[in-house]
Amino acid sequence: MTTTRTNTGRPRPSWFTRFWAIVKYEMLWNIRKKKFLGLVIVAFILATLIWALPVGSSAATGQPIEADPNFAVTFSIPGIGSFLFALIIAMNSISSEFESGTIVPLLTKPVSRTMVFLGKLLATFIIILVTYTIIFVYGVIGGALVYGPQNNLHLLPLGLLGNILSTFIWITLILAAGALSKSTIISTLVAFGLFFGLFFAVPIVSVFAGPSPVLNYLPGGGASGTMMTTQGQIGIGAGTDSIGANLINYALYPSATVDFNMTRIELQGDQPRITQVYAYSEPISLVTLRSVATAVVYTTVLLIVAWIAFKWAQILE
Amino acid sequence: MTLAIETNGLTKKYGSLIAVNKLDLKVKRNTVHGFLGPNGAGKTTTIKILVGLLRPNEGTVKVLGQELHGGKNAGFLQSFYEEADSRLSIGYMPELPKFPKHLKGSEMLDIYGRMYGMTQQQRKEQIPKLIELVGLKGRENDFIGKYSKGMQQRIGIAQTLLNNPELVILDEPSLGLDPVGMVEVREVVKEIAKEGRTVFVSSHLLFEVEQICTDVTIINRGAALVSDTLQNVSGLLSGPAMLHVEVAKISDTIVNAVKKLPSVSSVIQTGNTLRIQMTTHEDTRAHVSQEITRSGGIIIGMSQKTSNLEDVFIQLISKDQGGKPQ
Repeated sequence: MTTTRTNTGRPRPSWFTRFWAIVKYEMLWNIRKKKFLGLVIVAFILATLIWALPVGSSAATGQPIEADPNFAVTFSIPGIGSFLFALIIAMNSISSEFESGTIVPLLTKPVSRTMVFLGKLLATFIIILVTYTIIFVYGVIGGALVYGPQNNLHLLPLGLLGNILSTFIWITLILAAGALSKSTIISTLVAFGLFFGLFFAVPIVSVFAGPSPVLNYLPGGGASGTMMTTQGQIGIGAGTDSIGANLINYALYPSATVDFNMTRIELQGDQPRITQVYAYSEPISLVTLRSVATAVVYTTVLLIVAWIAFKWAQILE
Repeated sequence: MTLAIETNGLTKKYGSLIAVNKLDLKVKRNTVHGFLGPNGAGKTTTIKILVGLLRPNEGTVKVLGQELHGGKNAGFLQSFYEEADSRLSIGYMPELPKFPKHLKGSEMLDIYGRMYGMTQQQRKEQIPKLIELVGLKGRENDFIGKYSKGMQQRIGIAQTLLNNPELVILDEPSLGLDPVGMVEVREVVKEIAKEGRTVFVSSHLLFEVEQICTDVTIINRGAALVSDTLQNVSGLLSGPAMLHVEVAKISDTIVNAVKKLPSVSSVIQTGNTLRIQMTTHEDTRAHVSQEITRSGGIIIGMSQKTSNLEDVFIQLISKDQGGKPQ
């Protein structure tokens, strides 16, 4: 193996060695954060409640627990969970380095900013992947113990990847806001504002203007619909928060159609009357493809913005 | 002689403020070069350009022979290119360094060592040596978040030397240290210099610079006022020397004898002390001492006051500010 040398005559260390050092640096930072450990504990408590509550209820009422072979494939990290994981992991990644001044010793090592950026990104991906995998496995095992044997377990990795993609929209948003503002408070406020703005705005808009497909091109829950399957009617979220569930639904029911209704409020005498009126239908393939494509576009664009801002940042303090 | 650092017309602006103004800086290899200037003179900005944290608006920078920031005619895309490899041979300690609190001291050095491409064996040998050198033995496995300011400064020096750098850049290395720590830092800098490395050190502490530096550049308002060897810079203000001699039982005979010396301009007696103004800056203590003894005096103590770096610094800066005192 030949060793390349730099202009100063020193052997050039391998790209991978330097890159992996950054990944390790970032991973240690994340897994030692109290906020992160706290969120993981909360996630485990919630995952436990999902299957422990029916057990408690059954014990209290004496009613046997009904078998549910589809519990595993419907197990998913909810939108707010994805958002919180993204926030806790990414909020300190770039902006905090600027704020605390630790960016100075880091960027004066023989590592390029692109390498630092990619290392931080890979570390974030690994942490999300490992955390979600553990939560999924824990939830699914608990579910299997409570609801009996589970079907279609081979589709779980698809759901896992979908959840990671949903989370990465928020991660890249926070990274971009952090790299542009160099402020953890600003990046957190931007993320919170956008998430909760959409969280409340989308259902309200859906009620008054109908479940417009436009809503599905924004990050978040998107329009809500229903889909008839062999297992009965199931709820479908058409936004980027539901990519994991939609990928599994598409794999299970590739030709199914999602119906979207709109809420109509009419006055009957003095009393308002609320009815659900059919608005439009879309095949599950389109709903899934659109949510994946939307997530990929957002993630890519925000990543490019974050990278350029990080690469171009001048370290004044 | 090849230069460790060379800047030509280096300029850095923050809006309308010119932090570095057409700075031509030349740092010879294997020297300890002091970089002096009052607060806001542009020292830290210049250093940040040298290590790639800031981009200059104009001018060229060469560090260890390698041109940084894409060179003189760098366009937008060229200035995007980073010379990360040039940092393989540089050790840099920022002013009041901040390190990741979530890492332990030795862990941080290990990770930084990997970034320099050091093998496990190299890290295993080098890190304990550096921990010992900076006096952190026994605390290397504590989280940096638990380190005092002085300990952070020490670990900062350790990470600076991790890669056996050819060029060591220290930005105010004694800032925040107690007097013992300051002495220790000076000793470390002297040790580094003995190993044949180039040290470029910015400091407010002129006596510190006088003790460790061979060369000096003084800047103000972003431009160099003087850059030369310490001896030449200190000699810039070499006027006539002043001797203070403490003599037991001073008599008129002694005073008159001293006054008659050709190198003496005037003599003022204050108690047992003679303040002798010389006509030259040369060392004339032997002659004066001989004359006093010959006249029956017994010398208890003698000191010669000559201009030092501080005098030069204050005069140059005052002149540059239009005569206003610092």
